Amino acid sequence: MDVPNEVIHQSVRLRIMAALTALAPNEPGLDFGRLKKLTGATDGNLGAHIAALEKAGFIDVEKHFVDRRPRTTVTATSEGRKAFAKHVAFLKSVIGD
Amino acid sequence: MILVSIEKAEAAAALDDIETIVARVKQSRIYRNAGTMLILWGALCALGYVLTYLRPASANLFWAGIVIVGTIASLAVSVDRGPVTGRYKWRILAMLALIIGFGLIWSRLLGQMGWRETAAFWPTVFMFCYTVAGLWFGRLFVVLGIAITALTIAGYFWSGPALTLYMALVEGGGMMLCGFVMRRA
Repeated sequence: MDVPNEVIHQSVRLRIMAALTALAPNEPGLDFGRLKKLTGATDGNLGAHIAALEKAGFIDVEKHFVDRRPRTTVTATSEGRKAFAKHVAFLKSVIGD
Repeated sequence: MILVSIEKAEAAAALDDIETIVARVKQSRIYRNAGTMLILWGALCALGYVLTYLRPASANLFWAGIVIVGTIASLAVSVDRGPVTGRYKWRILAMLALIIGFGLIWSRLLGQMGWRETAAFWPTVFMFCYTVAGLWFGRLFVVLGIAITALTIAGYFWSGPALTLYMALVEGGGMMLCGFVMRRA
């Protein structure tokens, strides 16, 4: 039986992973502002959850400058995609889908 | 038993959450890509109307050039935004050919239109397509289509000899404005 992923299961992290894995692997990731809008998290909260996912190896975080402004772009790693897919499978198994 | 039902409810809520986020990301992607196209075609249309106002005798030449430049630029933008398959390219070209072909049948063959009718006709054809597409791809397309169609009809009746300049502002400016809004949505 599938098991839950404790890192991903937290609601903000689940939303982050859902947003990032909705993009194709060859697409550019989502920037911090966009993720903030999608997850409804505050700056500090989102930063902490991004750090947790990065530590788990589920996302890559890239900091760069666009028009002289700092921008943080986040992408899902292939490991993160697999972990998220397994977690979704677990959720579906719980509801008996 | 209570624990199981809570887990089920929690799992169902999490799956709903995922579905909502995925739908928003997909919508955002559609708007971002369409926004770029709208800005591109809005700028080209504005240019076309201004040139038509300045040299009405060469209007056909200007607009043929704008369609060619716009088509090439649209394909280039699509390629830049990810791998564009041959099939997708052909769909873009086929869609433009179908819309322009339909418009030409009415504006040149069946419609017997003067310059004023022609200037109002083409935007309404394209805006009709945006409105219909919006039923599937997002309400901003519907808003764009209906707003520009309404403003075009108003301009046809009340803008006098400045219709082409009015259309540069309404169609060109409206498309660009909507494009910027979509890119931020």
